[in-house]
Amino acid sequence: MTSTFKPATDAQVLDAVKWAVADKQTLEIVGNASKRGFGRPVEADQRLDMSGLAEIVDYQPSELYITAKAGTPLAAIDAALAAQNQQLMFEPPDYGPLLGGAAGQGTVGGLIACNLAGSRRIKAGAARDHLLGFHAVSGRGEVFKSGGQVVKNVTGFDLSKLMTGSYGTLAVITEATLKVLPAADKVRTVLIHWPQNGVYDHGGVQAMTEALGSVNEVSGAAHLPAHVAARSAVDYVSGSGSAVTALRVEGPGPSVAYRVAALHDMLSKFGKIEELHSQNSKRLWKEISDVEYFADNQERALWRISVPPVEGARVALHILEGRPGEVFYDWGGGLVWLSVEPADKASQAQVRRCVGDVGGHATLVRGSAELRASVAVFEPLDAVLSGVTERIKDGFDPGRLLNPGRMYEGV
Amino acid sequence: MQANPVSLSDSFIEELRGVVEQRLSTSAAVCLQHGKDESWHESLPPGAVVFAHSTEEVSEIVKICARHKIPVIPYGTGTSLEGHVGAVYGGVCIDLSEMNEILNVNAADLDVTVQPGVRRKQLNEYLRDTGLFFPIDPGADASLGGMTATRASGTNAVRYGTMRENVLSMTVVMADGRIIKTSSRARKSAAGYDLTRLFVGSEGTLGVITEITLRLYGIPEAISAAVCPFPDLESAVDTVITTIQCGIPVARIELMDEVQMKALNAYSGFDYPEQNTLLFEFHGTEAGVKEQAELVGEIAADNGAGEFQWASKAEERSKLWQGRHDSYYAAMALRPGAKGMATDVCVPISRLAECILEVRKDVDAEKLLAPIVGHVGDGNFHVCFIMDPDDADEMRRVEGVNRRMVLRAIAMGGTCTGEHGVGIGKIEFLVAEHGEALSVMRAMKMALDPDNIMNPGKIINL
Repeated sequence: MTSTFKPATDAQVLDAVKWAVADKQTLEIVGNASKRGFGRPVEADQRLDMSGLAEIVDYQPSELYITAKAGTPLAAIDAALAAQNQQLMFEPPDYGPLLGGAAGQGTVGGLIACNLAGSRRIKAGAARDHLLGFHAVSGRGEVFKSGGQVVKNVTGFDLSKLMTGSYGTLAVITEATLKVLPAADKVRTVLIHWPQNGVYDHGGVQAMTEALGSVNEVSGAAHLPAHVAARSAVDYVSGSGSAVTALRVEGPGPSVAYRVAALHDMLSKFGKIEELHSQNSKRLWKEISDVEYFADNQERALWRISVPPVEGARVALHILEGRPGEVFYDWGGGLVWLSVEPADKASQAQVRRCVGDVGGHATLVRGSAELRASVAVFEPLDAVLSGVTERIKDGFDPGRLLNPGRMYEGV
Repeated sequence: MQANPVSLSDSFIEELRGVVEQRLSTSAAVCLQHGKDESWHESLPPGAVVFAHSTEEVSEIVKICARHKIPVIPYGTGTSLEGHVGAVYGGVCIDLSEMNEILNVNAADLDVTVQPGVRRKQLNEYLRDTGLFFPIDPGADASLGGMTATRASGTNAVRYGTMRENVLSMTVVMADGRIIKTSSRARKSAAGYDLTRLFVGSEGTLGVITEITLRLYGIPEAISAAVCPFPDLESAVDTVITTIQCGIPVARIELMDEVQMKALNAYSGFDYPEQNTLLFEFHGTEAGVKEQAELVGEIAADNGAGEFQWASKAEERSKLWQGRHDSYYAAMALRPGAKGMATDVCVPISRLAECILEVRKDVDAEKLLAPIVGHVGDGNFHVCFIMDPDDADEMRRVEGVNRRMVLRAIAMGGTCTGEHGVGIGKIEFLVAEHGEALSVMRAMKMALDPDNIMNPGKIINL
């Protein structure tokens, strides 16, 4: 029978893991469980609920970092930073509604475990690039910490990077220090409205590639096909009935104006150019980062596909040939969000094959527990990488007690 | 230091020759040269040096070494600073400098794949016509394999990050000789644990890097550099802190103290005021560079700075940065015949002035010659002790100042090494800094290299 432990202190987390080690009990680690449906379903003996460790431990804006307990809601972090006009540069997305839950539930620990990032990823990197240090309990029942508060260190293996994106399979993070930076003064978005009717996915990717290759420091590059753009809450995006490519520019006023003008000149050959100001820009990039457009149709399987940007549109359109589904592109075309039916095993295996053919990765972000248990949720590893993965897992968690099977069967 | 170097039998050497034929040397001179980097650490020569030409060759060599449990030490250009290439237990050095091909530039995806022996300057010369460049610049014309293995950074890190942020993927020969590719060309590595970053900075202790895919950047439309003297250290450091806190994306922001400025003027023929000085470089659009320069100018003026001297021409800038990169040699020229020992602590920037001032006080009290330079935008600075290694009393004073500085930095929430790495030189400080994490690192090392043959004696002692 599964019990839930809800520790309130680091010491209680250590006790729980030590007990699990002694009694060979597997543990499912959750924060607010908002991303519980992401990854393979975990069948663990007990549950370790980290939401009781919720506190901002240290935040002084002038230090440019924030330290918080793992269960601290991101909403609380965002609010604390916004009050000082600062932000997490990697734009953590909120996948709550996308995964069928409520908004605003994600925690710091979950963010790191899943290594999430929003549209600014192309310029600022992902969660792993902003984690300066952490405290954790390994699957051996040992407390350890790594990194600290400084942005550079080369002291041995980069455990922060290894921990980020390990889906709780290596250690239980109890506290994390993240880098923060001042929010930009001005945000503008240059929109390309493509002609009505027709498919402009390839054109969108080409426009994004040109913009990102320019000196204009684009901090967001997304392409929304017409039926996806139509769902935006921003009138300038939904109103035109056409496909829209969006390019974000941020910074101090004068340089933003200069760069927007430069992009306007550069991109007007593709379609009609519009410009969004700060409020509308923020709204649009939150929709894109949170994948709001695909939150409604919950029974469709949802894939996050990473490909070399030049391949994105071709792969997506190929998968969608003769099949109900939708797509949009972020990260300059390097990230493809694809929802597709039917959500069965054969159909999903084909998605993976098409992506694999161009050297990309696909992650099944949303699907029923049966589907996630029966198809590879994460890109399968070859035999050698699989061996390395198991050895790393065993280095941290030799009893394979933490989130067993969350990433790969048996790991 | 090299207590019992393993002896290499003739039959073992013959096995290696079966892979690399004539590209193997056991000559004392070649081995001695390959056991030493640019630091003051003495040479710890390997028993043999092989010059590899392909990933497959490296794999075969490592398999042979694994079978005989012989240590393997990867070598690029030998520009490391903590004895990273020393063969602590003897063994086979794999020199990768002849694997120096640039394999594939993807201009559209802004990446390039290189062999590990490609040098930083070679890559940028090759890229020049494409309008792209690779920004990480540790000063030395290091190999990209070595820069990856030591997680190098340098003067451009404020804007472009370090090797950590700029290595997208690599091919690695593991301790058992098997070859892995850590990630595909897709930007986001979605498959499994982040092996790419695990190998970045692993100092050759987990495997031999044989191919690297790096992120590239468009050459900025405008670049401008400036030199600005300050009345004292605090005002210079305060200028840095405010600049970073305002989020101004300066490309480089470097401190040289008055001792170093004296050395720079003498060594590179400049005529700058011999005061605590900041060097700036701004990258971006014309408008962006102008705006950054104005903002920083205002902050500096508020802190009582002297006149900015601008270097907008590429030639002037390159002379200026060459001068900065030659700091180590310029500093040694202050005292002919002496050796240099560069330290590398990093502290949260709000503690930077305090930390540097305490070190300066300590250096002066111990009557040592030690100019200070720093990548101050990251809180990272180098005290370069100019010393006579044969003077036991002086060495004792140097070690005292160094130890106090490192412990002070760690106590301030900083680190003993911001960019040079651990090698053999900083193993003992790692214990103070990491405590229990060392047992996790040890478990990691044991998991991936159970026989401890990959560059043993670096980072952690097993």
